[in-house]
Amino acid sequence: MSEFATLASPYSMPAALHGDVDLTDPEAQTRSRALNQFLAGVELKAFKIAQAALRHEDDALDAVQDAMLQLVRAYADRPAEEWKPLFYRILENRIRDLQRRRTVRGRVIAWLPFRGDDDDDEPDPIAQAPSPEPQPPRRLELDQAVTALEKALGELPRRQQQAFLLRALEGLDVAETAAAMGCSQGSVKTHYFRALQALRAQLGELYV
Amino acid sequence: MSPVNEPVTEFERNARVVLEESLSRIDGRTRSRLNQARHAALAAAGAPRPAWWRSLTLMPTAGAATAALLVAAVLWHRQPSGEPPVLESQHAAEDMDLLADSEALELLDGWDGPFYEWATAQTDNVESG
Repeated sequence: MSEFATLASPYSMPAALHGDVDLTDPEAQTRSRALNQFLAGVELKAFKIAQAALRHEDDALDAVQDAMLQLVRAYADRPAEEWKPLFYRILENRIRDLQRRRTVRGRVIAWLPFRGDDDDDEPDPIAQAPSPEPQPPRRLELDQAVTALEKALGELPRRQQQAFLLRALEGLDVAETAAAMGCSQGSVKTHYFRALQALRAQLGELYV
Repeated sequence: MSPVNEPVTEFERNARVVLEESLSRIDGRTRSRLNQARHAALAAAGAPRPAWWRSLTLMPTAGAATAALLVAAVLWHRQPSGEPPVLESQHAAEDMDLLADSEALELLDGWDGPFYEWATAQTDNVESG
């Protein structure tokens, strides 16, 4: 079950969102605001990156939440310029943990004599139904391009996918991407270049 | 020049537009959950972390539990010295065997106690002399 189930609803949260932070301390207040702003700026992209790697919404949300917690707990005092590569490094580690756990779980489940079907994994027919509203051509083209790119990204090797998304979606430079991926800048360039080649071969020139 | 440092190609530009578009398609429920996660993370950051010395408060309990475990382990594995103890139940079983054995009872009928006591005394005298 997702850890998100344990989160309080926004309506039951205390008025002071930052818990026990001493709001009279101007330094703590400033840091908290900066962290909030930083996390708000990366959360959607981080979710996309995690989702591309894990292909599971709840797992992706868990990974992002854990990365947020870890960053705030362990690296809040570091300079704000370091937060982004650190955050994506933590996220990557978390994604890898979840992938390993999933592999182990898959092996165990494969040995079980009775495997219950998880109803939660079944697609919601209402959600899957096409919208009755006619879509404008531009919107339709974008939708098709998004679907095609996401599919192609899902087929990339993990490191290529990661290098491409950190560079193209998050806009990290080579050094930051290398820090986030825990590899050399040369490796980043190689992974990114190969990702571009693979995507171009599969998608042609994306028309948007 | 490395591939990454080349000017951004048409494909990359388009890919970035498409990726940005994919962000805008993230549904409200997911955005809400991410928002909650962010606030939860910030709240957790503000919460006082357990100091290392607080773990010392559990030391007496842990020590007592460890000592109890050690005592139990020692008692469990203690080897008896000398002869193994004979259980009362074994005596009872032997008595029952004797009572059930009719031949043994017949032997007891012809029991010559004084003779056997004299013979034993003689053997002891020879050994000591």
